[in-house]
Order: sequence, then structure tokens, then C-alpha cells
Amino acid sequence: MITIIDYNSGNIASVCNALKKLGIEFKLSSNPNDVANAEKIIFPGVGRSSYSMRQLQKSGLIDVIKNCKVPFLGICLGLQLLADFSEEDNTDCLSIISGEVKKFGDDLRVPEIGWNKVFFRRSSPLFDGIEDGSYFYFVNSYYFDGEAVGTTFYGREFSSVIQKDNFYATQFHPEKSGEIGLKLLSNFCKLC
Amino acid sequence: MLIIPAIDILDGKCVRLFNGDYKRVKEYANDPVEVALKFESDGAKYLHIVDLDGAREGANINYDIIIKITNSVNIPVQVGGGIRDINSVSKYLNNGVDRLILGTSAAMDPLFLRTVLERFGSEKIIVSVDIKDEMVAINGWTNSSNLRLENFLNTIKKIGVSRIIVTDISRDGALTGPNYELVESINGFNVISAGGVSCNEDLLGFKTVEGVIVGKAMYENKVKLVKNNLAKRIIPCMDVCNGRVVKGVNFKNLRDAGDATELGKYYSESGADELIFLDITATTEGRKNLSTLVKKVSENIFIPFTVGGGIKTAEDIRELLNSGADKIAIGSEAVINPYFVKEACEQFGSQCITISLDCKKTIDSWELYINGGRVATGIDAIEFAKNMEKMGAGELLINSLDRDGMKDGFDLNLLNKMSAAVNLPIIASSGAGSKEDFLDAFKIVDACLAASLFHYGELTIYDLKKYLTKNFITTRK
Repeated sequence: MITIIDYNSGNIASVCNALKKLGIEFKLSSNPNDVANAEKIIFPGVGRSSYSMRQLQKSGLIDVIKNCKVPFLGICLGLQLLADFSEEDNTDCLSIISGEVKKFGDDLRVPEIGWNKVFFRRSSPLFDGIEDGSYFYFVNSYYFDGEAVGTTFYGREFSSVIQKDNFYATQFHPEKSGEIGLKLLSNFCKLC
Repeated sequence: MLIIPAIDILDGKCVRLFNGDYKRVKEYANDPVEVALKFESDGAKYLHIVDLDGAREGANINYDIIIKITNSVNIPVQVGGGIRDINSVSKYLNNGVDRLILGTSAAMDPLFLRTVLERFGSEKIIVSVDIKDEMVAINGWTNSSNLRLENFLNTIKKIGVSRIIVTDISRDGALTGPNYELVESINGFNVISAGGVSCNEDLLGFKTVEGVIVGKAMYENKVKLVKNNLAKRIIPCMDVCNGRVVKGVNFKNLRDAGDATELGKYYSESGADELIFLDITATTEGRKNLSTLVKKVSENIFIPFTVGGGIKTAEDIRELLNSGADKIAIGSEAVINPYFVKEACEQFGSQCITISLDCKKTIDSWELYINGGRVATGIDAIEFAKNMEKMGAGELLINSLDRDGMKDGFDLNLLNKMSAAVNLPIIASSGAGSKEDFLDAFKIVDACLAASLFHYGELTIYDLKKYLTKNFITTRK
């Protein structure tokens, strides 16, 4: 059973639909006890860092997430919130994976919207059966600057997949990246 | 536009000549293979290689090194210098070189030119045209002829040449800026410009050329390739009425083109990068059908999709997002109440707010229309787009009322103006009638939308992507 953290941060219908399609059981919750006892966690998110951090605080989820020991997947903003700090509204984040979230430069169209390639820099169980350089769907104005498992080029090279211990995160939306995205999600769901 | 780094080889080394003078040589690197690999890893999509010894001697002196480069990189290369006979042409092409460049003098032999084109096809052959003071320069840099450029181009066009490299030889290697007027004035060919680029800003002056060859400025790091693998998006648009897809020609004469979920699934499987559903139902009853439809679509389709049509309140947005839509397109309401856009972006995030603009050409600009193109607003569409960017919009969908349903191409002037005015991603809409129309638009914008062209199978996304890839537009495979 997967617990999707529902902290009122944007649209999670797509993640639910993808898990349904994969035949994986899940529940939505923002209750700290539920999250603390979850077998696996998906941490989605769209919207703003500052607002989302406040929501996590309000729900009493910050320490629960920091102390999490089970497989944990952050998606999009769910990746950025794992960093130390985000330039978006100068927000202090969860400091789970060391790095900073920065804004793309003015020389680029922002947000980055569309399919971009992910290059594997280290091995990860998330990549099982997926070809290096595959396309995934991105929507982001900010990027994670820190150690990467997978990287992507948008004007510069940025970390599009990060990983530390039981924490995994993707800047792209696997739930919106067609068959390959579903494969990545199912790889995560197989982690014990 | 493709930036093509040049590797000029003299005596096995990478050099640049100043104004084509073999006595004024600057050496940049000893190993051309290493240089090629570096250009590739910097993000080059194509390489231009010249055998300078070959050009001087009329033979393929650096052939082995060039083939070694070709085999070492994963990007295609074009080769010139010393290619004067059929044997050289076939030797290079059979060993992995993508295109060969014939010098001006070789191209002046019509029999040779015709034979090469017939045997290898116009895609494989480029004619390099050196120009000095609007005259064709025959023996490279030294002599200019009495042949006017226009006459020469007419001749080679008749023989079947489709791609040329234009070098204004007074500017090559001089870092004084390209001769834009000259290269942009040439019609009827795929034009690659060479010479005169000294910095990234110099690249901005080009509008219609297919590629620009950069030599010295690349070695001296004055031009940097921007690495970007973001694919251009192809988006089938479905006008939805009571759960079925319809498409109007000029917003009239609606025809039923199929079931929305089925069609969406079909497109998702056949390579569409995104989908758009525009609801043209005006009734409350139809509105309910829309949420049901969005739910059904999102349970079956795992690529992003946008829903629009009659969005007026935050409640509308929330309901559609909760049903599974990824982005919401706002049209008339953004014009009537721009602050609605601001609120929507703050509440739901810019990334899910797309603003749809219906634009109609006026004498010197474009006027914004609302209510499905029925009501003129007197508002300048470009200024409105800038305002939407300020309000926090994440993307613009640019419709042209003049082009809608006409299938004679996107309004490229409008797209150019929009693209220069805002820094947001732009989806071009209205007027797609052929593969070439997409190619033209993708030189300006990030995404293109089409409806009936896809719905009636006149063009498949697979064929379109194949064509675009061949023309150096990055698409998702």
C-alpha cells in the first residue's frame, strides 16, 4: 500500500490515475500518523514552495517526512522541497538532500514545459528497464542544483533525478510521461 | 536555426585561415577528432568539416582523419574541400558522411553537378557559393568572376540543387558580423550562412536561414552552444461538444470527428506530446459532461492534457483539475478580468494556467477577440500577451482568426511578434496545412497545435516527426 501525501498542494488526480492503471493500491492522507506508518510514500506537488512548506507545517508533516525510513518518491515540487533552500520566495525547505533550488536564467523560456531527455549519471533502481536518454515530461521554472542520479539539459545541466538513502525524487512528472513514466513509477513501487 | 561548428583541417590540424589566405593560418588544435567530440558534447547537432589541403590540391588529402571523425561522433557531418569527381563523392558518402559540399568551381561544371545530383540525390549535396561584392567568386578567395549571384543561383536551381552554403568572403574569419541582408535575400534554397559570426548576439539577426556555420568564434568561445534537449511539442486539439470531438472550419460548419477518449488514446499512442480539449458547449448540462469526459480521459491517457472553453471562475478550474486535467486554458475571461488570471496563478500555480488569445490582423498589429472570435475588443493582442505574462500566466496559446481552418500556414508574423514580446512558452494554433507549416512555426515557437489535419488522417504525427527530425527540429521519439 502506497500513501500519497495529500497536503493541498495542487493536483494529485494524475498520480492516482497512474497508480490505478498500474493496479497498485494507495491511499491519500495528510495525517502525520498515517504517513509515519506508511509502507511507501509518494510526495507529489505543484505550485509554490513557500505555500507548500506552510501546508506541511500546518499538517504537522515536516518531522514525519524528515524521519521517514521507507521508500519515498518526491515528484516535481516534491523534489524541490527536499533541498536545503529554494530561491522561490527564499524558502527554507526540508534539508533532506543537500542542494539548492534556483531559477532558470532569463535567456530561456520559463517555465520549461515539455518533454526533455534524462541522462543517467548513477545507477538507480528507478531506471530499471528504461533507456538512458529517455524523454520525460517537465513543467518547472526552478531546478535543483546538487548531486544528481539523472540530469537534463535546459540551457544548463540540472539534476532531474536525485536520490539519498530511501529518498528518491524526480523533477519531471512520471505520471504524465507515457509508458516510460509508468515504468518508472512501477519501479519505485517494487522497492522494498 | 542550427549552429554548425566548423572544423577546417590543414596538415592534419584544426586551423582557421584569415580571409582564405593559406599564409595567414592560426592553429587551434592538433587533434581534429578530439575537437569534434568536444563540439558534440557541447551540444552541436551537426558538424562542418573542410579539408583545406584537399581544397588547395584538388584531392582528398585529409580523407582518413575525416572518416575517423565521422565514425567517432554520433551527429551527422558535412564535408567539403577537394571534391571534384564522382569517386570522391561516393567514397565519402559510402563511409558515413551525411552531406558533401561542392565548391563553386565544381558546381560550375553542369554535367558533373547534374550527374552527382542524379546519382546521390539533392539531399546529399550542398553547393558552396562564395560571394564577393555581389559577384560569385570562382577560385575561392582570389578571383571574383563576372557572374552575378542571381544568375548562378538560377542555373544551379534548374539543375536540382536544393541546399547552399553562402559565404560572404570579405567577412569570413574577420569577426565583423554577418551579411544578413545578403543571406536572407536568397529564396528557393535551404540556406546555410557562413562567415562573420563573432558572438552569440550575431546569431540573433538571422531569420530564415536553416543553419549558420561558426568557425573561429567557436574555438575562441565567443559563441556558445546552448544545450537544450527540450522537444518541440505537437498537440492535437479536440473541440468538444457534449463529449464528442467536433471541428469547425472558421468556427462554422461543425463536423463530428469522433469520440474524445478514443481519439485521445489514439493520439497518445501515436506520438502526440500533449492534448488539448476545448469545450464549445455553452450550456450547464454540457459543462457537467465536460468534467465526466476529463475524468474518463485522465484515467486512460498518461500524457499531459489541457482543458479550456468557457472557464470563468476558480471553481471551474478546481473542478477540472480535480477531474484530472493538467492545464487550464482561459480565454475571454482573461480579457474581461485580467486579475482573474493573477488569482488563478496564485491559487493553482502558473504551470497549469494557459492563456488562449484569439487574434485578428489589423493594418499594423493584431486585435484581440473574445467569445469564440465573435466580439472585437479593441485591445492590442501583443500588449495583452505582455500583460498576461505579468499576471503570472504559464503559457500562451496563440490563435489566428484569419488563418483558422484555412490550412495555408500559421501566421508567422504574429508568432514572431509574440515570441519577441514575451518569455513564456508559446503554442501556435490556426492554419496548419502541411508538414512545412510546422517546420516554419517551430523555428519560432515551442509547440504547435492542429485539429482537422490530424483528425481526418491527412497527416500522421509519425510522418510529421520524421520530417521535422530530418530538418533538425528536436522531437520526442
